[in-house]
Amino acid sequence: MIYQVRHKTTYHYEDPVSVSHHLVRLTPRNFRGQVCRGTHISIVPAPAVRAVHKDYFGNIQTFFTLQEPHDCLIVEASSELEVHSIKRPDFAGSPSWGTVVELLANDSSEEGLDAYQFAFDSRRVAAGKELAGYAGEAFPAGRPLLEATLDLTRQIHRDFTFDTKATEVTTPVQTFFKKRRGVCQDFAHLQIACMRSLGLPARYISGYLRTLPPPGKPRLVGADASHAWCSAWCPGAGWVDFDPTNNCVPTDGHIAVAWGRDYSDVSPIHGVLLGGAKHTLDVGVDVMPIQ
Amino acid sequence: MKTSTDTANATLLSTGYPQTDAIYDEMTVAPGVLRPNWDRLINSLSSMGEQELARRWQTAKQRIRENGVTYNVYGDPLGMDRPWNLDAIPLMISSAEWRQLEAGLIQRARLLNLVLADLYGAQRLLRGGLIPPALLFANPGFWRPCHGIRVAGDTYLHLLAVDLARGPDGVWWVISDRTQAPSGAGYSLENRIVMAETFPDLFREFRVERLASFFRSFRNSLLRLSPVARDNPRVVLLTPGPFNETYFEHSYLARYLGFTLVQGGDLTVRDSRVFLKTLDGLKQVDVILRRLDDGFCDPIELRSDSFLGVAGLVEAVRSGNVTVANALGSGVIETSAFMPFFPGLCRRMLGEALKLPSAATWWCGQPDALSYVLDNLNFLVIKPAFPSKGMEPVFGGRLGTAERLQLVERIKASPHDFAGQELLNLSTVPVWSEEHGLTPRRVVLRVYLAAHGDSWMAIPGGLARVSSSIDTPVVSMQRGGGSKDTWVLSDGPVDTFSLQPPRGVPVDLVRGVVTDLSSRAADHIFWLGRYAERSEHLARVLRCILVRLTGESSAEGPKWESLMQMYECLESPDPEKDEAQEQPPGLLDPLRDFEQEILSRIFEERRIDSLAATLNRAGRSAAQVRDRLSGDMLRVVSQFGSVARNDDTAAWGYASVGDALTVLNSCIGRLAALRGIEVENLTRGPGWHFLCIGRRLERCMQLVKLFDTIIVPLNLRTWPALEMLLEVADSSMTYRSRYFTILQPAPVLDLLMNEEMNPRSLAFQSKDLIEHCGILSSMPSGVGWPITKQQRLDQAAADLFRADVRMLCEPGAGGTREQLSERLAALDAALPAFSNAITHIYFSHAEMERTT
Repeated sequence: MIYQVRHKTTYHYEDPVSVSHHLVRLTPRNFRGQVCRGTHISIVPAPAVRAVHKDYFGNIQTFFTLQEPHDCLIVEASSELEVHSIKRPDFAGSPSWGTVVELLANDSSEEGLDAYQFAFDSRRVAAGKELAGYAGEAFPAGRPLLEATLDLTRQIHRDFTFDTKATEVTTPVQTFFKKRRGVCQDFAHLQIACMRSLGLPARYISGYLRTLPPPGKPRLVGADASHAWCSAWCPGAGWVDFDPTNNCVPTDGHIAVAWGRDYSDVSPIHGVLLGGAKHTLDVGVDVMPIQ
Repeated sequence: MKTSTDTANATLLSTGYPQTDAIYDEMTVAPGVLRPNWDRLINSLSSMGEQELARRWQTAKQRIRENGVTYNVYGDPLGMDRPWNLDAIPLMISSAEWRQLEAGLIQRARLLNLVLADLYGAQRLLRGGLIPPALLFANPGFWRPCHGIRVAGDTYLHLLAVDLARGPDGVWWVISDRTQAPSGAGYSLENRIVMAETFPDLFREFRVERLASFFRSFRNSLLRLSPVARDNPRVVLLTPGPFNETYFEHSYLARYLGFTLVQGGDLTVRDSRVFLKTLDGLKQVDVILRRLDDGFCDPIELRSDSFLGVAGLVEAVRSGNVTVANALGSGVIETSAFMPFFPGLCRRMLGEALKLPSAATWWCGQPDALSYVLDNLNFLVIKPAFPSKGMEPVFGGRLGTAERLQLVERIKASPHDFAGQELLNLSTVPVWSEEHGLTPRRVVLRVYLAAHGDSWMAIPGGLARVSSSIDTPVVSMQRGGGSKDTWVLSDGPVDTFSLQPPRGVPVDLVRGVVTDLSSRAADHIFWLGRYAERSEHLARVLRCILVRLTGESSAEGPKWESLMQMYECLESPDPEKDEAQEQPPGLLDPLRDFEQEILSRIFEERRIDSLAATLNRAGRSAAQVRDRLSGDMLRVVSQFGSVARNDDTAAWGYASVGDALTVLNSCIGRLAALRGIEVENLTRGPGWHFLCIGRRLERCMQLVKLFDTIIVPLNLRTWPALEMLLEVADSSMTYRSRYFTILQPAPVLDLLMNEEMNPRSLAFQSKDLIEHCGILSSMPSGVGWPITKQQRLDQAAADLFRADVRMLCEPGAGGTREQLSERLAALDAALPAFSNAITHIYFSHAEMERTT
């Protein structure tokens, strides 16, 4: 599929902001199955400083500074991408999850290290006994990793309810686990936390869903904003994505922008302001297939 | 009572000094047998005599108190600042032993720096198996945004601290490394200064290595870190603020090294450069010596919940426009979990054996180490592998069965979060007290290393810390331990350098106002002025009442009513004053109750309107800018906290009227001393003007309140209040010389309101205020000066002064002086409005940043 993606964020401030710094990750990455043909990020008012870097995880981040008083900020990212449906690996034939845990701890290859770093606690996602217990249902000893992971995805989808009012951007995984209601960020964090509780690596992916489903298919949850899901690492197959909010294995309807250990590594837009008092925020995402 | 005259050859050891075989004692080899150098020291001190030692040490302790050397103990019921605890006996290290230690320490600095460069660069050590990858991946101190940032000269560690402890075998072991923002170097300097002043004779006799060259070298290295070659690079010391446990040290070091002390809010990033917000505008900062932990330095790229840092700092560092020392992220190796790997790393990276051993440590993230730790829990101290996760060290051997099982469970659940370290039987060193003579305490020595060219330089000495008792296995200032100066004895002549600029080098002459006064600092100086003035007013009014109250026999009559009137002048204008504190009904003894109220108003720190609380606020404002105040000024201000606190009696309820009067008198004296130092010693820069504006505004407000409360409703029953008014305004003598015993409202008001020659008059305040405002508003920073607000104030004052005093003092039909009241009301409204406007315009930089 080829997509045109538009992600527009508008801030209105009650009082003028004298200086503000922002860090955004709005440029979709390239990887197996996805080619970003180009991204344009427009910032109004024009920033005095604009710097683009690759972060530690290879995501493209844009830092900018506004130094003139402003009472509104519009950041609009437009990208064109090719997203290919890749062949789904053999879930039942994947190695047992226990062997993956052992294998990784002793793998100092580039690929092994790259995967292993996602097996540990991060700022937003901490492993725990309780979560290991919850994941145990899908992860009996010896079960193939991908099969078990798919089951965990199903289980989370079954037990938790999508609710935009229940949590905030800073809600810890453990709270979501008790409340059983939240948004895609919480669903993804929970699945990652479950897998890390078992010693398995898992990473967080921020991205988009196509806005209107293909004919005859239901519209997915989270299609009008940025979305989040997770990814599990399996020797041989590499990283395989899972979307617990929609109970599916992403194919060409998910567009990845950035990945990291959790939300705080990849938040799409984050700023620090001087002044401004209160602000209102409006986010719009459009993902249109053009072919 | 022991005195030196008991016997001719009395020694400090005459009462005995306990010693056991299992512990190495720094002073004694065997009971009564002293090690070399220590014998000389003890002899010298003994021949000085205990009485003389006690006398000198009293003076030393006084010095420490006066210098305001404090250490904040978190959660301390005694309040924020606790006086620094220094012991009279130095830790002595011979020059031969020191040379060995020094070589090991420098090697360690080089090694740690190389490890950091690898972790934040190519990470070859992970692939080569020299560092377990999990030790990095699970480490919250590994700040990924700092990875790949180019660091000037590949120097990550500009200041490093290493904690050393001596085992029973006499060998020094490293027990921890402090790599991000080590604390204590300033305390070691202060300890040295106090010791050198207390025992100048011993310093000469023992040829003690000086510390100044170390700090000179450190200072020069920091200046050279400026990314741009400038004549005068701007270096700032970034502190988390006065609530930090070592804030005293931050201000002390900043002043000693000649750097500006700043908090995160004083800095701003523009054009990927860091600037200091001063009253003269933004000034670029070249080097930041930070005392802030890695994560807190930048809410954009590091911890987004930090309010202490500088937004955009990481980007500014990445752009090469500012150098941060130590390099951001260097806290990653500030954990004993790395220690087991240093011997291997040293051989591989430096091609030599590790000279200074680390205490045996096992990181539980490795299966073999984990099982060793679980099997040997009794002999180990369990430490957090990642200190930022917050956990106190646990002594395995001291746990009960249940606690032990709990700990084992915790370790098994996340082994990589824990490390086990061999329990060192720390060596002991004598501490001295008048009551107990010499007694042994456990000691840990913290040594500092500063980057010096492409190597490091160790401080000859360092901060020795002692446990609070010999049974305490942990040495920590947080747990009430003490400190010692460390004397490294020199073989040859001592470098007597002091941190003064070289005599032969010509220096550019600078005149006029040179200021890096930050807006935040100006704010605190302004409030120092206001609180100091408010304190004096409170003290004078309370004294005026208290003196008269003692002679009073009944709670009625003109004198009593006048006293009540006078007290009304103190009614705090704060709307927050709670109504709940109203007098209980059915007063039996109004005299006694009033006296209690006055005492409470003086001493009760919990009342926001008490003298004690106001003085505390003045002290706190001063603490915020202590790096900008002279030593003399600090000495005066540091006594504020204790002025109203009766050192001996715990509760103010027991204070007598006599005690209270003594306190009020000494308080007024000290406030006058402060004012004197200000007038004679402060440079006439913006800080001075803000201080004066604060004072003048406050005094204006108090005078207006006095006139309004006393003169406006004055009648025959309150006539004596006129005389009190003169006393409170310190103008009785002038009045008497002009009008003798005639007491009338018009001449009183004329003297206190209109007489420009009287420095206590409203007219004088107003004139001086206008002068300071004029100077400030004509500075570059005065662009936004609140002209309208000032005009309204000037107008209100002019209206008051223009009116005929006799006419103003003529009571109207209702018995009150309405014309005076109206004019005072106009001024009363204009004063706070102007004060708020100044605060808003100058100090609003200090407003909090917000994250979105």
